[in-house]
Amino acid sequence: MGLLSIIRKIKRKEKEMRILMVGLDNSGKTTIVLKINGEDTSVISPTLGFNIKTIAYQKYALNIWDVGGQKTIRSYWRNYFEQTDGLVWVVDSSDLRRLDDCKYELHNLLKEERLSGASLLIFANKQDIQGSLSPDEIAKVLNLEAMDKSRHWRIVGCSAYTGEGLLEGFDWLVQDIASRIYMLD
Amino acid sequence: MEDSHLAPPDSTPSAAGSDATLQRKHAAMLERLSNLHQSRVAQKPNSETDSIQSFLNRFTESKLSIESQLSRISQTSSSSYPSNSPKPELENVAVSISTLEKLVAESSYLLPSYEVRTCLKTISDLKQSLDDVTSRVIPKKKFSFKNKKKAASAIYSIPPPPQSDVVNEESDELPKLGSENVGFVSPGFRAKENEVLVKEFNRDFEIGEFTLSDLKGCEVRLKGCLRAFFVNKLKDCKVFVGPVFGSVLIEEVEGCVFVLASHQIRIHNAKKCDFYLRVRSRPIIEDSNGVRFGPYCLRYDGIEKDLEEANLSEETGNWANVDDFRWLRAVQSPNWSVLPENDRVEMVHIS
Repeated sequence: MGLLSIIRKIKRKEKEMRILMVGLDNSGKTTIVLKINGEDTSVISPTLGFNIKTIAYQKYALNIWDVGGQKTIRSYWRNYFEQTDGLVWVVDSSDLRRLDDCKYELHNLLKEERLSGASLLIFANKQDIQGSLSPDEIAKVLNLEAMDKSRHWRIVGCSAYTGEGLLEGFDWLVQDIASRIYMLD
Repeated sequence: MEDSHLAPPDSTPSAAGSDATLQRKHAAMLERLSNLHQSRVAQKPNSETDSIQSFLNRFTESKLSIESQLSRISQTSSSSYPSNSPKPELENVAVSISTLEKLVAESSYLLPSYEVRTCLKTISDLKQSLDDVTSRVIPKKKFSFKNKKKAASAIYSIPPPPQSDVVNEESDELPKLGSENVGFVSPGFRAKENEVLVKEFNRDFEIGEFTLSDLKGCEVRLKGCLRAFFVNKLKDCKVFVGPVFGSVLIEEVEGCVFVLASHQIRIHNAKKCDFYLRVRSRPIIEDSNGVRFGPYCLRYDGIEKDLEEANLSEETGNWANVDDFRWLRAVQSPNWSVLPENDRVEMVHIS
């Protein structure tokens, strides 16, 4: 029995899910992770590198990898692709100027073969800021409809600041992953 | 007998003739060995420079091919109205760019850091020109699917602000989505020269975001609290801002002075600027140089109350804890410095 199959077995037993959070810098990835884990979000420095959090969510253990989004370190995202069950793409809905960048980076990411099986949750974050685009508008700008039909995806508006929408998003993601990899439940 | 003394110890002293042959053979062997050794020693560095060279050749080659593809796409589609969409071609280009990026990442361990930097710069330029070509070439109707599955895809929505109606229009410019096209949705000062721009945020209104972009030689005074603040393309400006209780994103600024208080501050592509900051977290710079930092020094009537409201009334000292994402080493980054005390401005009062 290979190491990989042992790991898979353990993973199945513990009902672990590996979730990768990515998105442009300043989109609120770290804030989302801390908020959903009930931690203080008032002092968060831009992420240099990555953070890992294991969160018990329903009956699953979410292993969340929050990877920094600064331009300099985006090329390292690919080091985290392996074995990803769920992908969370975070958008700063108030940063209209960089939506083009956001679209480019997202579609670049989705070309990655190692992520082809992962469920995709898009958080249209910062909905609490006046003047941000709605999830519908973001979906249109990011051209999500054109996405490969075989991928499970969903866009959810949220505010990491107030916490609104976060659970809805994670609920969907976890259910979607569970229905794929733990079919017997 | 003297001969045998000079001969190597393993050569048996015998007849003078055979002795000489042996000696010659031995010398030849030693030479062969030392040649072998030298070639082994020389091999390693050689192969390294070789692979750098071959990497650079490959890199230049793909760069040229991408550029020529891009120019061909933009020419063919500008000369005649494209009957078939150039989209697949553009996607190919995007794929080649990302392959190139991958190549750089894989080779980065053997490249000198200068090469890595220039290669990354080239790649980002390529991406930029791909974006430009795409926005020019792709027919604008791309974005007009709007009735498919919309309700299903969004499960949370807030009513869009009234101004954003314009975004929903199928305007010809929509797909480009640059600052000029959607940027007007957010309030801000744009495209001004040599002006004094003043704004006071009324506490009765909901606090939102504010943008400064394409300003030259201006002085900007923003009073009151803000939720998010974006700055883009400023030259020789002075910017004084009240507390921002979200994040600040600054890109492409040169020769400016900023006085800012915020929870998070990110600075990209800044040249020769002074920042007087109060930040709850560590400010970061990326692709910047000649930037200097000092403590926040802004005063206006009621600023204490605003700072308190934004949770920024305490000096954290973080203005000097700058992280340079282009300088991930223990030694001080050459790109930024602390403003020497006698170069700092006095307290700035705005009214």
